[in-house]
Amino acid sequence: MREIAAVVYREYLIQSTSLMWIFFELAVPLLYLLMFGVAFDRALGQGLLVENQAISYNSFFLPGVLAMTCFGNALNQSYGFFVDRDNGILYEFLTYPMRRSEFLLGKVLFQCGMTVLQTALTVGFGALLLDVSVPWSASVFIIIMMIAGTAAWFFFLSIFAFTIKRYDIYNTVINVLYFLLMFLSSVFYPLDRVPAWIRSLSLLNPLTWHADILRFETVGVGSPGVVLIEAGAFVIFAFLSFWLAVRKLQQTG
Amino acid sequence: MQPVPAIEVNNLVKIYHRKHQPPVRAVDGLSFNVERGEIFGLLGPNGAGKTTTIKILTTLLAPTEGTARVFGHDVVHDPLDVRRQICVVVQENALELHLSVRNNFRVFGRFHGLTAKETQIRMERVCELFSLTEYLNARGMDLSGGLKRRVQVAKTFLIDKPVVFLDEATTGMDSLNKRATIQAIKEETRKGRTIVLTTHILDEAEVLCDRVAILNHGKLITLGSVLEVKGAGLRLLSLTLTVRESSSTLLETIRSFKPVSVELRNSTIEVIMRDEEEALRLLAAARKHEVFLHFEITSASLEDVFLQLVDHKTGPK
Repeated sequence: MREIAAVVYREYLIQSTSLMWIFFELAVPLLYLLMFGVAFDRALGQGLLVENQAISYNSFFLPGVLAMTCFGNALNQSYGFFVDRDNGILYEFLTYPMRRSEFLLGKVLFQCGMTVLQTALTVGFGALLLDVSVPWSASVFIIIMMIAGTAAWFFFLSIFAFTIKRYDIYNTVINVLYFLLMFLSSVFYPLDRVPAWIRSLSLLNPLTWHADILRFETVGVGSPGVVLIEAGAFVIFAFLSFWLAVRKLQQTG
Repeated sequence: MQPVPAIEVNNLVKIYHRKHQPPVRAVDGLSFNVERGEIFGLLGPNGAGKTTTIKILTTLLAPTEGTARVFGHDVVHDPLDVRRQICVVVQENALELHLSVRNNFRVFGRFHGLTAKETQIRMERVCELFSLTEYLNARGMDLSGGLKRRVQVAKTFLIDKPVVFLDEATTGMDSLNKRATIQAIKEETRKGRTIVLTTHILDEAEVLCDRVAILNHGKLITLGSVLEVKGAGLRLLSLTLTVRESSSTLLETIRSFKPVSVELRNSTIEVIMRDEEEALRLLAAARKHEVFLHFEITSASLEDVFLQLVDHKTGPK
């Protein structure tokens, strides 16, 4: 635990050197919800019919924003490996008395704290400004899912960050990946209306699983059986990514 | 029972596989021990395998074959136990550029289990030793290359790990700080710490190291104390002659003795010879051509021996 706490302390010191960045980071998901959600909500007029349930686009989109928040935070944190590598400090870290897994867990734990704050802000202001109400009883589950989502995506992206040595190539690969993951998922639209091939691909996307789990908990949309399978698949995705990221980090030297 | 050596390396091999290129044997069957409390130098030209060896010993790289142990802990099977025994100055300039020097020390202390109070006390001592007190509030990115290196080296003296690895630690430092670093390294071994260093500055190795290993193309060329290495196999002697004016006849005479090398600087000629008798004969022959203003015969420097060993035992690349 001491080792993980040391990594969190280091992340805190580094991030706190740029308070403006932290402030902006905290506000980004809410801004997404306000700008994107409001525009689509108005454009669609009557809202959406999902699984025979009528809900506003804002209500549908909130879990999607939360899932994107996890991905975005994980992405930001993964860029840090390139900064650490360029500064040479990554190699020094790897000689410190800690396990590779502790290093990764410490890195993501700080970012999970950011995710929890972003979630509170987005859900709170979503309820106040857009009338998207989330039951209090779901709050603990949502926080757990947000932490799990940030960690899973961070481990997944770490595999790429440790495999690809060049920052520019990593940036390109991740941008393409981000684009595909976003639009082949249930983040922006319900999958029962999209062409079959998009639907099939989207159902294999961990971002869909994560968004569906959050949607089920926040606005009660989705079939319990399907969400349970998606939750299981997401847990496997998270652990597999963690295992591969640790292995990749062990080969970094 | 004899305590285990600080470091045991047995038949270590590291092969790098690269796309569309033949594999490189960066370390090729290396074996040596480093005793506790010793300053041990790994010397060799660029690409000799020094940094790869250090990376294996510090658990940054896994060997392809062979074993390496630090205080009895295997670097592959017990990497965490190895990391608990060591601290490392890596070859790269490793510093948190966005953090102040003070926070760099704090983070390092935290990682190595020091309390905030312990870090503060030790930081004051270390900063005094490395003349860093005035830079404590400066950010890493605002420091010069030499200062960054100084902070990096100073960090390792904040903690008391029994084995310290210094990979080209004094690179970029000015002579004053180099001297302070060398002094600090010597002080630390008096406390029983083991230091393994790589350097391309052979004078530094000569002053610091109890024993040295010379590597080339991943192989061990020679191993022993500086005196042993200087004397082993090649008993090189350095003959320095200062004359009023060097003539071509004198140089021809010198070259006829087939010396290892001849270097002419203004009116001083430095000749490296393999044999003492030959050196004396050369001196007598040269004396017939010129009146010496000054002459001196000394054992050749580690650098001369090093260049000869690298050239003779493994040949050109």
